[in-house]
Amino acid sequence: MRSLSLSTRLTATFTVITAVCFILVGWLLYRAAEQRIYAQDETNLVLSARHLRRFVAELDSIADLKAHQDRMVVSVLGDPSNALRIVDDTGQIIADHNPTGFPVDLQPAVPTGQRILTSMLRTWRDDHGLSIRGVAVTGQLRDGTHVTIAVARSLADREALLRHYRRDMALRLLAGLIAAIVLSHLLVRRALRPLRSMAIDAATIHAQSLHKRLTAGNAPAELHALSGALNDMLDRLEGGFARVWQFTVDLAHDLRTPIGNLRGTNEVALAHPRTPAEYQALLGSNIEECDRVSRTIESVLFLARADNPQFALQRAPLDVGTELERITEYFEGLASEAGVHIKVQGRATVHADRDLFRRAVGNLLSNALRYTPPGETITLLAERSDGAVMIAVENPGEGIPPEHLAQLFDRFYRVDRSRNDSANSTGLGLSIVKSIMELHGGRVSVDSQPHGMTRFTLWFPGD
Amino acid sequence: MRLLVIEDEKKAGEYLKKGLEESGFTVDVAANGIDGLHHALEEAYDLVVLDVMLPGIDGWEVLRRIRAKKDTPVLLLTAIDELEERVRGLELGGDDYLVKPFAFVELLARIRTLLRRGPPRDIEHVHIGDLEIDAVRRRVRRSGQRIDLTPKEFALLQLLARRRGEVLSRTQIASYVWDMNFDSDTNVVEVAIRRLRAKIDDGHDLKLIHTVRGMGYVLDEDREAG
Repeated sequence: MRSLSLSTRLTATFTVITAVCFILVGWLLYRAAEQRIYAQDETNLVLSARHLRRFVAELDSIADLKAHQDRMVVSVLGDPSNALRIVDDTGQIIADHNPTGFPVDLQPAVPTGQRILTSMLRTWRDDHGLSIRGVAVTGQLRDGTHVTIAVARSLADREALLRHYRRDMALRLLAGLIAAIVLSHLLVRRALRPLRSMAIDAATIHAQSLHKRLTAGNAPAELHALSGALNDMLDRLEGGFARVWQFTVDLAHDLRTPIGNLRGTNEVALAHPRTPAEYQALLGSNIEECDRVSRTIESVLFLARADNPQFALQRAPLDVGTELERITEYFEGLASEAGVHIKVQGRATVHADRDLFRRAVGNLLSNALRYTPPGETITLLAERSDGAVMIAVENPGEGIPPEHLAQLFDRFYRVDRSRNDSANSTGLGLSIVKSIMELHGGRVSVDSQPHGMTRFTLWFPGD
Repeated sequence: MRLLVIEDEKKAGEYLKKGLEESGFTVDVAANGIDGLHHALEEAYDLVVLDVMLPGIDGWEVLRRIRAKKDTPVLLLTAIDELEERVRGLELGGDDYLVKPFAFVELLARIRTLLRRGPPRDIEHVHIGDLEIDAVRRRVRRSGQRIDLTPKEFALLQLLARRRGEVLSRTQIASYVWDMNFDSDTNVVEVAIRRLRAKIDDGHDLKLIHTVRGMGYVLDEDREAG
């Protein structure tokens, strides 16, 4: 069922709805017609029976009745389907008018005093199974003699009429239904045409032509919303592709520098004979350059892995105070060489991967150490707010110019490209912090005042 | 100690052989899985260094077949740093796992750890030249002179002393002393060594703590300054 096209489904739905409506309306109309036809006959039968009983009551005797037989027959003559029979209490037929000769039921008869009502009419069948409707009543002559008067009507013609009516209606319903199928199919196809043109548009969009967009044109509002959403998605994809492309270029550039250094220093060293000490220095420098390449590769791989939704976090409850103290201890030597003091404040618990937590805070702290003037203090702050935990690394200094803040967490983004201290920094530290926070369902933010405080904040969501 | 290195890349095989031989091991190199497996099964080695990505039969298969017959320690080398790879390696019976590119000193340290029988014991008293370390009372003397160290400085000195003569990389030191398991691009370890050296070596003619440029640090009494 899943593979059925939208137009087939809509057409099928319309067809079912139309069929249900047609059948319901047809049935109601048929019932109404049927009722009207039968009601007319029933009224006639009841009125004839009443009339005949009154008529009989004014006659003196059976003989009188026989004499006026014709007058009685007249009351039912109009219609050849009608029948009249009068019998006396011995069962002898006094009057009989029955052109089509169907059986007439005489029992049970409505007693003399009782008013004749439609509900007293009975239905029976002849040998061919055709229905007959009628009623028998008891009448009393003036001399006290009782007679049974039966009036009946064959329903054969009525049933034939209704049969025709049913057949005609069925044929018309079928024709209507076919018209509904064809029309709804055409309509749906027409309505879906913009969708097909969007599909054709979409088919032309490739990695090389991500700038193309879907055009909704004169399509209905619903499709405008869809094409808008798809175009937004394309915007994001294009942005993502552009970032990946930029990332590749930056990565290549970043690797080119240490490899250039390697090649250059080695070529220069090989050009002339050197002392063992010089060779040793060269080899040491080579290893340092290799480490730099390795660090970049490790960082890039870490970021790529962190983008994978299957990254396995090893979460455990962490006492933030203890962790911050521990990280501070690690950077203590570096800080005191730089003449910078590190202060830890506040307590909290987070549910996080220990190594990644240390790496995130460590990256922020080593960054802060790089930009804090001697004699100043870096503050590590932990705080609970609304169930979430925030950990801030705050340092005084020159501050980060506001135009850089938005891109600070982009890969390989460096505030001061000319300074390019890529020997010490991969330019990936803050991207790694961002990735780590995203892995934990949290985020990182930065706030910086020129010649004031720079504050990086890690937000861990509450459990 | 006799080691077998199964490594298909010629340059890597050569430098591993050279480096390990200079560190006092006898080393055979096999350039593919079939030869490597043959050597490993036919001869007696103290340890096998096995590259996972090999032509012919791969490292996993080699490891599986070695394990079917022998308990020789196996150190796996791989270019893929994924958790599943590690788990797979250790489940198949690998003893340790090192991701390329690695520091040679790191490889050396791992090999030595695997070859040591049982966990390394904390030696209560260590004498290196005129340096005395009392691990129980956590006291350090040089030429009889008491030296005050912070707990981390003491931990650092103890690590260097326990592995005396062995070059320790910055990453190893950061991991052992501070339990920081990420490759930081700061010179935290450098600074810590400098401060420790100031307390231990300043004012003494015989320097004990040496920097091996690009590789790491070593504590040794008879070593040329790097």
